[in-house]
Amino acid sequence: MNTKKISSRIWCLFLAGAFLLPFIPGGVGNSFHGHVLTMILLYASMAQAWNIISGYCGQTSFGHAVFFGIGAYGAAMAVVQYNSLPWFGAPLGALAAALVSVLISAPFFRLKGHYFAIATFAIVEIFNRLFMIWDTVGGALGLDYPILDDGWVNFSWSSDKNGYYLGALFLFVLIFGIVRWIESHRMGYYLRAVREGQETAESLGVNSSFVKLSAMALSAGLAGLCGAFFAQYNYRVDPPMVMSLDMSMKFVLITILGGLGTFWGPLLGAAVLIPLQEYTRAYLAHLGSGVDLIIFGLIIIFTMIRQPTGIMGLIRRFVLRNEDSAARDGEK
Amino acid sequence: MLRKIATIASVCVIGALLFAGSAAAEEKVIKIGALFPLTGPSAVSGQNCLNSVLAAAEVINNAHTDINVPLASAAGLLDGYKIVIVKADHQGKPDVAKSEAERLYNQEGVFAIIGSYNSSATKPASAVAERAKKLFLCGASSSAALTERDYKYFFRHAPTDAIESEEFTDYITYLNKEKNSGIKTLGLIYENTEFGKHAADEAKKAAKKIGLEVIADVPFNNGATNLSSEVQTLKAANPDAVFGAALGGDYSLWVRTMKQVNWLPRIAINFCTGYQNPAVQKELAGDGDYFMGGMGFSPELAKNFMPEALKVQERFYKPLAKQEFDSDSLQEAVMLLVLGQAIEKAGAVDTEKVREVLSTATFASPLSLSGEVAFQAGGQNVKALSVITQIKDLKYNTIYPKRFQDSEPMFPMTPWDKR
Amino acid sequence: MMSSFLQVLLDGLLNGLVYALVAAGLSMIWGVMDVINFAHGEFLMVGMYVSYWIGFFLNVDPLYSWIAAGIFLFILGAVTYKLIIKNSLGKSAMAPLLATFGLSMVLKNFCMNRFTPNFRLLQGTLMEGKTIAVGGAILSVPQLATALFALVVLGVLYWMLKKTRLGWAIQATAMDSEAAELMGIKTENIYLLVFGIGGACVGITGGLMTSYLAVYPEVGSLFSLIAFVVVALGGFGSIPGALLAAILIGLVESFSGFYIAAVVKYVAVFAVYIAVILVRPRGLFGW
Repeated sequence: MNTKKISSRIWCLFLAGAFLLPFIPGGVGNSFHGHVLTMILLYASMAQAWNIISGYCGQTSFGHAVFFGIGAYGAAMAVVQYNSLPWFGAPLGALAAALVSVLISAPFFRLKGHYFAIATFAIVEIFNRLFMIWDTVGGALGLDYPILDDGWVNFSWSSDKNGYYLGALFLFVLIFGIVRWIESHRMGYYLRAVREGQETAESLGVNSSFVKLSAMALSAGLAGLCGAFFAQYNYRVDPPMVMSLDMSMKFVLITILGGLGTFWGPLLGAAVLIPLQEYTRAYLAHLGSGVDLIIFGLIIIFTMIRQPTGIMGLIRRFVLRNEDSAARDGEK
Repeated sequence: MLRKIATIASVCVIGALLFAGSAAAEEKVIKIGALFPLTGPSAVSGQNCLNSVLAAAEVINNAHTDINVPLASAAGLLDGYKIVIVKADHQGKPDVAKSEAERLYNQEGVFAIIGSYNSSATKPASAVAERAKKLFLCGASSSAALTERDYKYFFRHAPTDAIESEEFTDYITYLNKEKNSGIKTLGLIYENTEFGKHAADEAKKAAKKIGLEVIADVPFNNGATNLSSEVQTLKAANPDAVFGAALGGDYSLWVRTMKQVNWLPRIAINFCTGYQNPAVQKELAGDGDYFMGGMGFSPELAKNFMPEALKVQERFYKPLAKQEFDSDSLQEAVMLLVLGQAIEKAGAVDTEKVREVLSTATFASPLSLSGEVAFQAGGQNVKALSVITQIKDLKYNTIYPKRFQDSEPMFPMTPWDKR
Repeated sequence: MMSSFLQVLLDGLLNGLVYALVAAGLSMIWGVMDVINFAHGEFLMVGMYVSYWIGFFLNVDPLYSWIAAGIFLFILGAVTYKLIIKNSLGKSAMAPLLATFGLSMVLKNFCMNRFTPNFRLLQGTLMEGKTIAVGGAILSVPQLATALFALVVLGVLYWMLKKTRLGWAIQATAMDSEAAELMGIKTENIYLLVFGIGGACVGITGGLMTSYLAVYPEVGSLFSLIAFVVVALGGFGSIPGALLAAILIGLVESFSGFYIAAVVKYVAVFAVYIAVILVRPRGLFGW
């Protein structure tokens, strides 16, 4: 069967179901699972944004929390400090994130392997600490949202989560749509060429620097939009909430768990990790014993040992095995 | 492989059903949420706060005629309602605090939340409460911004860092006048977080008012591997007085580092920090002597002014927390007791009625230093009181204000080589 | 003024030496296996707890209990290799790193669960509170002792690598593990040993640090980051590189902390790292 066709059909069915959910009573509303679903969509979007540069282009960045944070501050500053709307702040934040990402990555891309990774850690730490002392953006105190009227204008809701859910869904469709487009156009080929072997790609005429920087800018800008959503959702932003290594690791873990460099990976990873994180905390954290985090850590270890290609890897193996046996049966 | 998946799936389903199935039978309960940092960097304080609330719930739920605290002598509230505490952990993260608050109100159906220690977590959690028109009671968070938001459903017990700063500077004025101490310069050392930065800002304002010059402003990264540069900076500036805001481990590191470089200011006063934590002081032993801090409770203070608190401590808190009350966590217990009294007074478990009572009544509070609690518009407890204590030989001696004083202040701090 | 300068200089030196020992094990592991042990800071924390509990229950001073901490961490390192690293090596570049990230979460929260988050500081240790005056500067004896130990252990490590057959085997495995295997070196055992030694190094450091630092579950986080930066700055696999880079980092931290502002001292550390790495992408001594 044509896997591309199956994929498209799944995609359409999934989107249809997702759009209809808030209109079903008890679908989203003010429920905890409504929160979890919204978070799945948000983190899937974040992971997919990260996937562009790290999965498709092969440059593993641990610094995405910075771009996420810049986007968050863009939205928060607009609302809190300028009495304006997040619709102005978010794009500005995303743009700033893209710009910063290019400025940082241009010199960093010549670093190889773990050196690049550690350099991106260092960037997160630097930005975190700088934002903590930079009073113009609120410094250590952070920015707290005032009470706003519910609605799309303010992109803020308190009575139920339907608005946030749909907002996250739009973000999801945007980012996944962009990646779908990249996959099937020249950009996708360039990305993969650079990932598979930079020197070879260059010898074939691919401008690897341009490719990497564009991918990074796109990835960072989209991460910034996700950050803006995060600030709007939580009514607050401060440096440890957004520009932390923990947040960076979320980008990484979700994508890898789902399947690095695959289209569905980010969604699958989020669909497993986020409910796990939220429900273990809801039901176990009150024990105050860190049990939920121990479980989380063990799952990460287990996955990395047994199934590092993630859920997509598992699915592929399953599909391949079936195709193999089907072929063998056919031969008989 | 498929069989494995099926087994795991069925186990999960059964587990989920078991969880869901523990829905309460038709009892008369009032569910109250307790939202604190049970894990993460503030876990020590968060767990103390939770234990405090649990101790208070125990006081309310059962009849204890020998404890002279409101609600102790009867079992439960109104006609036999028991308080059930629903615990939640926000891990020190504001976004987790926000979603846990929502889960507590919407899924668990709690009537009110007591929380959340870290002001950065209390802010979004109480924002959720305000928007949902539900009660949020805060014991220990000290950021003044919390009660400057014009909220109707938020009530907070602790004196703000603004109030504390003024008390510290009042004390310095008193020292200068009565003892001719000549304190003219101030140094600030504080963790660069929402709590520390806010405390430092308030300290600067208060210092300005009395003409005290701030000659050293030293924020530090909490969880630092060492505080050498920070202490060096203080030593080089050599201020007469130092105000500190450093939690737990950083506090003992700060004290030990000052000992190592053989420097002390003439007077050191702390905001709610490691100073107030008896466990930290035990580890520091004699090194912690002569430091001072603002407190709403100490075992010595309680003997004279809050004896009932000691009873509650011995019978209900110590078994849970394995240590004595500290002035932070005690306030969470107070808030549960105040909430209970408000419910009784309102006569019903009704948010609007209880809110009305909370905003207008004055409550008897034997676990509070001033003996009373009353909230003004915005939620600040106008009866909030703290004293300045000084620690010597693991005893907190109250030295200011005069009406609570039980010992003479030891001024200046005895230098390291003379101990 | 001069005494301030000397104090800042010596503080930086001592802190740097401590960072060097923490980083040395990480450097070896990275050099031989191309693995970044994300749980390195948590290994340090475990070493500190071992030494603390021995001191608390058995009244043994950190000056002796470091041995136990070192041995415990050697075993923990070896077990980590056997169970986690071995099975995730070669599968993808990220797998061991993320697996050790998971391990760091498990270790941190396990200790929090068992030992509560309370800060624990040993009292009445042999070296407690003692100081030595050098010029106009005052040095804390526990820190000085840890720093000197670090130098000795680093020296022993370096000697082992350069002058013993085991050390040559390790270097050979680092350079080309396939060739080494062909030459009869049991690379599997080398990996196990290297992870164990790496753990032991950081365990010894932790053991000694309980003489002046409070232990709590999160104590290792910043040390982890600094260790990564030190190793990357020095060049992976290079012990002299780790030493030099660590001292540099310690000095940058100390000087920027005093002469600029204490709150930016880590910004300066990471900024210096980035500045150097851009000029020398493989670190100071990397190959």
